[in-house]
Amino acid sequence: MSELVFQRKKSRIFREVNTVITVLAREITLFFKSPGTAVMSLAMPLMLMGAIGGNLMQNMAGGLGFEFGDFMLVGMLVSMLFMVTTMGMTSLVDDHEIDFNQEMLVSPVSRYSLVVGKILGAGFTAIISMTGTLLVGLLMGVTLPLGKLLLILALSPLMCLSGGALAMIIIGLVKSKRTANLAVMLITMPQMFLSGAIIPINNTSGALLALNRLMPMTYCLDLTRAVLYAGSPEYDRVVMFNPTVNFAAITVLTVVCLIIGTFFFAQSEKNR
Amino acid sequence: MSVMSMIEVKNLVKQYRGAKAPSVAGVSFSVEKGEFFAFLGPNGAGKTTTISILTTTLAKTSGEVRIAGFDAEKEARRVREHIGIIFQNPSLDPQLTAEQNIRFHACLYGMCGYRPTFGLMPAFYRQRVLALAEIVGIQEALFKPIKKLSGGMQRKLEIIRSLIHTPDVLFLDEPTQGLDAISRRSLWEYINDTRKHYGTTVFLTTHYIDEAENVDKVCVINHGKIAACSSPAEMKRSLLRQELILDAADRSALTDELSSLGLPFTVNGRVAVPYQDSAQEVIARLRTKLTTLKIHEPSLEDAYVEFLNRHGRDAA
Repeated sequence: MSELVFQRKKSRIFREVNTVITVLAREITLFFKSPGTAVMSLAMPLMLMGAIGGNLMQNMAGGLGFEFGDFMLVGMLVSMLFMVTTMGMTSLVDDHEIDFNQEMLVSPVSRYSLVVGKILGAGFTAIISMTGTLLVGLLMGVTLPLGKLLLILALSPLMCLSGGALAMIIIGLVKSKRTANLAVMLITMPQMFLSGAIIPINNTSGALLALNRLMPMTYCLDLTRAVLYAGSPEYDRVVMFNPTVNFAAITVLTVVCLIIGTFFFAQSEKNR
Repeated sequence: MSVMSMIEVKNLVKQYRGAKAPSVAGVSFSVEKGEFFAFLGPNGAGKTTTISILTTTLAKTSGEVRIAGFDAEKEARRVREHIGIIFQNPSLDPQLTAEQNIRFHACLYGMCGYRPTFGLMPAFYRQRVLALAEIVGIQEALFKPIKKLSGGMQRKLEIIRSLIHTPDVLFLDEPTQGLDAISRRSLWEYINDTRKHYGTTVFLTTHYIDEAENVDKVCVINHGKIAACSSPAEMKRSLLRQELILDAADRSALTDELSSLGLPFTVNGRVAVPYQDSAQEVIARLRTKLTTLKIHEPSLEDAYVEFLNRHGRDAA
């Protein structure tokens, strides 16, 4: 008993970090126990990068003043992270259906730790899909320098966190799988087209521009492109904001979305 | 010296969104440290709603709830540190193994840092899991996926999970649902041992009234209100009398004698003679040769059924 009591008194920070790791580890375990998820996470890049990206490269590459393949590859990488993380967040609905959310929510840990663990778990699958996208890009002849690729990989957990936090605002409230699947489309599709993932948005204006500025993916894309185009003559044509601005915007939007999404999630489980 | 209340509920009200009437309508009770408390009531009476509020998984509409001295709303996290719960519905991850489910729980409760395999977990965790698995008899199933376990096995696993962090207050929401008789018995032996050893306060809801026979206090909730609250013995005394079950080769002689002595009785297959204090006094007055002589002690279930029969579902 005394040993257990001693263990219980470990610091709160340790407990929260441990919670994030535990929830993340569960998601990774589930990923490897579900061959279907693994296959789909690798099939997604074939569809997005191979089919859609390939078609865009063949039809839209002319007259842009920069290499469309590189531009589109970054867009596909970030879109993939956002889309697969958002899809992964629908596992909250699965957990609700099997009452596992109750088990998590009755534990003496921060709800933020649970949600961050969940997002990073979904992000794990997203990073697998991102790797698949890079491989498909390689087959299509679109590659990234190794140093820049590693930098982008280092930024990917932040981007998953950002995409997952935004997804939480809607998915945290949803209790049915069908609604959750529709929510994924609602969250990811507008971002993919409005934030400039696959088509340039230099001439976007009005309400669409306002939406663009509110989307975390806009800043994630711009930051990733800033990494890729750093030192190149195309930098000013492709990158919209200073990387510091991007980083700050991502941080602020992620924190705001995380607070709102976690609040909605906890309240929707508790206030019935 | 006053005994510390581990659970204190005052005027608790819960009305679900869109509901016309509250599910819990001004409930008040307290449970002292180490007490074994049973919360009984028919389906839909408000038992699970109350337990959900007490375990911080459901928001109350009004009232005050304190667990282990902490406010269940303002200090929910502190409350959660002190409680364990077996939910009415299974809350296991079917994709994980039994042990992975326990590990997940133990890590969330801060017992130890997460490790990717059972073998890498700290020795005290491994020993405790194996010991608990032996008590409830699921050693063989510990490393099998949940989806391959029977409902009873899953329930046993939930029991291990709820006890792994040795909570001060254990909430059991129909914990033996789906368990066979042997598993039920071994579970109760273990819970009673835990209670005695650690002074764990136990809050039980169950439809198996016999499980509440040995509790310290029983509260009956009906239509969201506390209808009765006392010890099982008091409840039985107030509702039912003890009876002598008698029979004789010449039953009419026996009933004539009982009538002549002015003793009340009923005949329903056998002769039942209610008594107040001493069965000996009744027996000593009888001259008819008896072929059957039994003392019937009413059970808590008898008292509970009698209570609901008398008051119906509108008792309050």
